[in-house]
Amino acid sequence: MACSVKLRLEGERCAGHGRCYELAPDVFGEDERGHCRLLREHVPAELQEQARLGVSNCPERAIEIESD
Amino acid sequence: MRAPNPDPETRKVNLFDPEVARCPQAVYTRMHTQCPVARARFTDSPVMSRYEDVIQALRNPALFSSEMELQMALGTERPMIPQQLDPPLQTRYRKLLDPHFSRRKMAALEPDMRGYANELIDRFIDNGACDFDPDFAIPLPCTVFLRLAGLPLEDLDLFLELKNGIIRPHLKTKSIDLEVNKNARVESGRQIYAYFERVVEDRTLRPRDDLMTQLVHAEIDGEKLSRNDILDICFLLLLAGLDTITATLGCNIAYLAANPQQRRRLVAKPELIPNAVEELLRWETPVTGVPRLAREDFSIGGIDVKAGELVTLLLGAADVDADEFDDATRVDFERARNRHLAFGGGPHRCLGSHLARMELRVAMEEWHKRIPEYAVAPGRQPRYSPGIREVLELPLVWPAP
Repeated sequence: MACSVKLRLEGERCAGHGRCYELAPDVFGEDERGHCRLLREHVPAELQEQARLGVSNCPERAIEIESD
Repeated sequence: MRAPNPDPETRKVNLFDPEVARCPQAVYTRMHTQCPVARARFTDSPVMSRYEDVIQALRNPALFSSEMELQMALGTERPMIPQQLDPPLQTRYRKLLDPHFSRRKMAALEPDMRGYANELIDRFIDNGACDFDPDFAIPLPCTVFLRLAGLPLEDLDLFLELKNGIIRPHLKTKSIDLEVNKNARVESGRQIYAYFERVVEDRTLRPRDDLMTQLVHAEIDGEKLSRNDILDICFLLLLAGLDTITATLGCNIAYLAANPQQRRRLVAKPELIPNAVEELLRWETPVTGVPRLAREDFSIGGIDVKAGELVTLLLGAADVDADEFDDATRVDFERARNRHLAFGGGPHRCLGSHLARMELRVAMEEWHKRIPEYAVAPGRQPRYSPGIREVLELPLVWPAP
C-alpha cells in the first residue's frame, strides 16, 4: 500500500448527501450548505480505510481516490 | 444478463397493484429482468427501474425537468419552491435553504427530540400496547418539525388535515372522482396559503428566533424573498415535513416486528442503528418514486419517450438493483457500501435528509432502549399502501414491564 493517497473532489457533482463526512469524519468535512469539503488532500495510511468507506458511499460519485 | 422482453404486455407495470404495496421488492426485481423501462398501466407513462438509469436521470435536470406543477395538480397556485423548479433558479433557493437544514443544525435538535420520544413512550409503555402512528410516529417527527419551523404545536391537527387534504384528498371527500378531489386539493391549498400569509405578516412585525422569521428576512443577492416565494417554500415544507418520517418509522418498525432476529441484533448492538437506518431506507424506500417531465424525445431500454411525458423514476426499484448492490435482496445491517437513493439525488436531493436521518436514528435508539421486544397485535396483519409506502395500521404489543 502506498504511504499516502490523493483525493479528488468534483464539487459540481456533490449534492450534499453528507455520507462522506458522516462515515469518514477525519477525512471529509462539510461547508455551510452541507456539501463536501476535503479536510486533507493526501490521506495517510492509517486513514485510508475510512477514506475509502466515505468515497464508496457517495451516491453522486463526486469523490475519487487517486494514487500518488 | 438482461434481455428485455419484446412482448408489449409484459412491459406494463401497475404501481397501484396490491402486490406492489405488499412486497414491492419482488415486483421491482421482476422489472429489472423483464422491463427495466416499463409503461405504467392506466397512465401509460414511462417508469424507470434501473439504478444507473435513475441516478443519471436525477442528475440531468435539463432532460428530466421538475417544472411540472400543472401536471401534478397538487392544489398549488404556483410551483413549490425549490422542488418544482430547475437549476439555475432552483440552485439559488437551495443555497439559501440548505444551511438551515444542514447536519450541524439538525444535531442541535437532537437532545430535545430524545426527551420528547421518551415522554411519548412513558404515556403508553405500561399498557403493553400502542397504536404506532397516532401514539408515536405522527407526534414525534411533527413536533420536531413544528419546533424547528417555529409553528404552534397546538395547530398540529390543522396542519395534518391540510397536508392530508393535498396528499390524500380522497380520505376527506370519500370519493375517487378526479374532479372532486382536485377541488378538495385547491381548497386545502387556499387554506395553506392563507395560514402562511398570516405567519409572514406576524413575523414581519414580531420577529422571533425561528425558521419562519429567517425566511421573512432572507435575501438572495441582496434582495428579499417575495411574499409568494415565502409561501411557495412554506407549502413544500408543510407537505414534506409532516409525512415521510411517519411513513418511514412505520415501515421500519413493521419490518423489525416481522424479523425478530434482526431486531435482537440491533438491541444487542445499538451501534449498528445508524447503518440499519440506511439499510432500511434502501430496502423500504418509502418515497417509492419521483416524477420528472421529459424535455425532449428520447429512447431508453426500448421505450420511446416523448417530450412532455411524465416519467417516473422508481427510487425503490433502483435501491434493490443487483447491478448496484451486492446481495441486493438481503437486508444487511452491516452493509459497507450503500449508495441508496431513498432521498433522491442530484440537485433535488431531499432538503430534509439530514433532519430525517437524525430523527430516524434517535427514534430507533430510544424506542429499542425502552421496548426491545414487540410484535404486531395477534390476528392483525400490517397493510401497506402503494405510492408513498406506509403501514396503514400498526397496532403493537409487548410484554408490559
